[in-house]
Amino acid sequence: MSKQTIRNERRGFFKAVAGAAATAAASPALFAGEAKHEGGGAYLAYDRKKIGSLEALKKSGTLNFSYPDAQSPCLAVYVDGEVKAYSTLCTHKGCPLVYNNDNHTFVCPCHFSKFDAAKNGEMIIGQATEELPRVYVEVKGDEIVAYGIDGLVFGRESNKLS
Amino acid sequence: MAFTINDRLPIPPAGCEEKNVTCEFCIVGCGYKAYKWPAGTEGTPRKNALGVDLSKQQPTYGLWASPQMFNTVTDRDGKKYNVIVIPDHQCVVNQGQNSARGGMMASTLFTATSFTRDRLKDPAVYGGNNLNRDTWENTMDLTARVLKKILDNDHPDEIAFKAFDHGGGGGGFENTWGTGKLFFSAIQTRSAAIHNRPAYNSEVHATREMGIGELNSSYYDSELADTLFVIGANPYETQTNLYLMHWAKNLQGANFDDKKKEYDKGETVQKGRIIFVDPRLTASITNAVELAGKENVLHLRLKPGTDVTLMNALLTYIHEKGWEDKEFVKNHTEGYSATLKANRVSLDEAEKITGVPKAQIVKTAEWIAKPKASGHRPRTSVYYEKGVIWGIKNYQNIASIVNVAIQTHSVGRVGTGVCRLGGHQEGYCRPPAPEGMPSRDKLVVVDKAAAEGDYLAFFIWGCNPFVDSIMGQRLGNAFKRRSEIVKRAIDRNIGADNETLADAIYRACKYDGGLFIIDIDIYPTFKSEVAHVQLPAATTMEMNLTSMSGERRMRLSEKVVDAPGIAKPDCLISADVANALKALYEKEGNTAMAKRFEGFDWKSEEDAFNDGFAGQGAKMHSQGGPTGTLASYDLLRKAGNNGVQLPIQKVENGKLIGTRLLYTDKKFGTQSGKAMFQPSPQPPMPKEVQRQLDKYEFFVTSGRLNEVWQSNYHTSRIPMTRGRWPVAPVEIHPADAKKKGIQNGDMVLLYNDYGSVRAVAYLSESVEPGTLFMAFGFPNSPVNNLVTDFVDPDTRIPFYKGTAAGMKRIGRVDDIYRSMTFKSRI
Repeated sequence: MSKQTIRNERRGFFKAVAGAAATAAASPALFAGEAKHEGGGAYLAYDRKKIGSLEALKKSGTLNFSYPDAQSPCLAVYVDGEVKAYSTLCTHKGCPLVYNNDNHTFVCPCHFSKFDAAKNGEMIIGQATEELPRVYVEVKGDEIVAYGIDGLVFGRESNKLS
Repeated sequence: MAFTINDRLPIPPAGCEEKNVTCEFCIVGCGYKAYKWPAGTEGTPRKNALGVDLSKQQPTYGLWASPQMFNTVTDRDGKKYNVIVIPDHQCVVNQGQNSARGGMMASTLFTATSFTRDRLKDPAVYGGNNLNRDTWENTMDLTARVLKKILDNDHPDEIAFKAFDHGGGGGGFENTWGTGKLFFSAIQTRSAAIHNRPAYNSEVHATREMGIGELNSSYYDSELADTLFVIGANPYETQTNLYLMHWAKNLQGANFDDKKKEYDKGETVQKGRIIFVDPRLTASITNAVELAGKENVLHLRLKPGTDVTLMNALLTYIHEKGWEDKEFVKNHTEGYSATLKANRVSLDEAEKITGVPKAQIVKTAEWIAKPKASGHRPRTSVYYEKGVIWGIKNYQNIASIVNVAIQTHSVGRVGTGVCRLGGHQEGYCRPPAPEGMPSRDKLVVVDKAAAEGDYLAFFIWGCNPFVDSIMGQRLGNAFKRRSEIVKRAIDRNIGADNETLADAIYRACKYDGGLFIIDIDIYPTFKSEVAHVQLPAATTMEMNLTSMSGERRMRLSEKVVDAPGIAKPDCLISADVANALKALYEKEGNTAMAKRFEGFDWKSEEDAFNDGFAGQGAKMHSQGGPTGTLASYDLLRKAGNNGVQLPIQKVENGKLIGTRLLYTDKKFGTQSGKAMFQPSPQPPMPKEVQRQLDKYEFFVTSGRLNEVWQSNYHTSRIPMTRGRWPVAPVEIHPADAKKKGIQNGDMVLLYNDYGSVRAVAYLSESVEPGTLFMAFGFPNSPVNNLVTDFVDPDTRIPFYKGTAAGMKRIGRVDDIYRSMTFKSRI
């Protein structure tokens, strides 16, 4: 499956979730199809975690949380009618990213890498070798729940510290 | 199946194999550590080769392997190994930091199931509309038989070669020596061209003739500069860690202790300032404002092609103010008065020609030449690169910059230098051409000559002229036509022995206008469509390789994995060609000719190194100079990722001692030992380009993108960079886009008399209205299709940065539009 196809599917998936604001459980097939990297991927088992309210996110535009543990800062954002969430440690050298809600970009104050929150964390310019790790979220009524991460969080050999 | 780990990486076990690797990409040459261990084994979070507790979250700047820094390879022993390649925290160049390019080195390693699966693995010979996989012996025998017929019946100059002359991946001292010895000493041809230009020339003839080698400073000295003066370069995207690890420190004022230590007593210590000369607003400039504050950054946004006038105005104004280094100019230079006279330009004239406000020119002069508060001369580090090298006229562009550098004594002093920034690392080490090359103004423009029917055989070695030379489209068409003639001859002789086949090939070239094309590379390219023989090369991490960086830092980048299939280092391929010719001449009893092909009995790249860089000293043209003979693999291995800055001074207690800064003794590379000013008046727009400008609406310039390396061979395959740039973008000013009905993500067609190219529209105020900037080096959308056949008559260097084109909207390709981000890069 090409990267483009994967991206399109992901986009469609999140649109559907946000648009209907209904329960959408991740089916195993869909989960596997969302791999950021070509040719499959290894996915750890992640705990589900409630991270906040959809209404509040819509109002403020951003929602800070940590996932999968307290040492991994993340941000949920509301972009183009979708909830998207990312690790906020730059995938270059781990500097905390600054989010600009006006143009939906994450910017690294250390080495000026820029990432597009509207395009699945794609690097606009910069020195990182990875797009931003994407936190999987689903929306149940007003509740946003994190349930997995696609991409390795900076400073870890495994997203789940041992 | 391919299996890419995404949220968990295997851990290198303690005691696993650890090698030094120098980044294969840009000239900065960052140090990396490669760890390799058998798949199926692993360390633990607390006990591992990295020596850090991986059970904990690593801090900002901490040690981390990103997924792109990991791979699983299969060596020739059939076993699988895990490999991690991470930036070296002990290396003084990058201090643990990677660029987007270098950080992806592990993922570019060959594996049969990843995006590198199409690496060339075996030699191949054309027949029946295919390149057919073949043995080294048979391929070499056929190639040598064709070459022998040319040597016996014609002239060695009928065998042309276009090859890398650089360091890093696809280059290095071993490989420039191997190819150089083959073509210059053994075959003895002078029909040569360099990888990114159509003749065999320097990109910096001017500075060398003025007595100043182009890499005369060090990265540490750039940290000590009062002013960084950057002309025609975008170092955040193309020399990343020089900018981020060295200049940033200076621009933030974070190294006053070093400055106090290195400066004269009582000398003013201040935060660094930076001046950019560029028609385009780049990320280097906007990021510099973040680092230094806007009061410490100047952007001289000149009209394209007017750099010489700007430099000459500075030369004139600095002289008028009496800010030149009078003692230095008087005692250590020649030609100042004549150059002042020839180059005189007033501020008013300069403003009119360049479009740069007078006040900015004055401020520039103050920053680079006006004495500091303490009365000491400012320390100015001058850097230039392709914006001027590939500008309107190469010789005068460089000369006008070096004039100002000499006038202000910005060379050979701590914190100064006048250097090219560079593209690749360097790695030149070749014998002189037979009878010497013609002078620079008489060099043959080999690529164009081949397109016009010259030569019988053509080696294209580790480069892609159809992307990176003049008039790319016309060149490609010509090679296709000439290749086809040879292909038909081969097809008429399928099944014949090599001698018969070689004779048919030779006759097709000699009498029917054909060209026998030999392609040596690591991936298939457009060349695969025209080649009759294709040879698979090894690259960085697949062989031991030495190169030097932009501060002349030489390292041994060690072999980590086996090359794909039966691919070989370029130096050993050169040896195979020479040895095959030697065997043919010996068989015939022609001892004189057999002797010419002696001296290639190399078993490894180290043999080539010992024969060339470490063996020849002053007997060849080498960036190691006469003291290169002091180097050895053992000593370089010991020197690790910090290596040694050439030239080597001596070996002390098993340690190579090098040279940080050149010309500290004020003795320059001219006969008199004095630095030589060169008159350099503003050149006119070349008529070839002017004709396009008269006919077409937009001025088209080009340059590099941070995420794309050279002809995009790896980066067009890596999913992240391929996804970012599926085709070349063209930056269009929003006003021009509106006028043409073009939106972000639209495919557009650019066209002129030389050819056409498609690109994806990227709206940006980085360019002024009327100018388009297109990314360089994309084989699937080569901007050089639009480049004219103009070369500087004095140096034969093209004006790649200037042409003109019409533009029209094709339409939106939804797939590209949806996947790419079009947000501002500045």
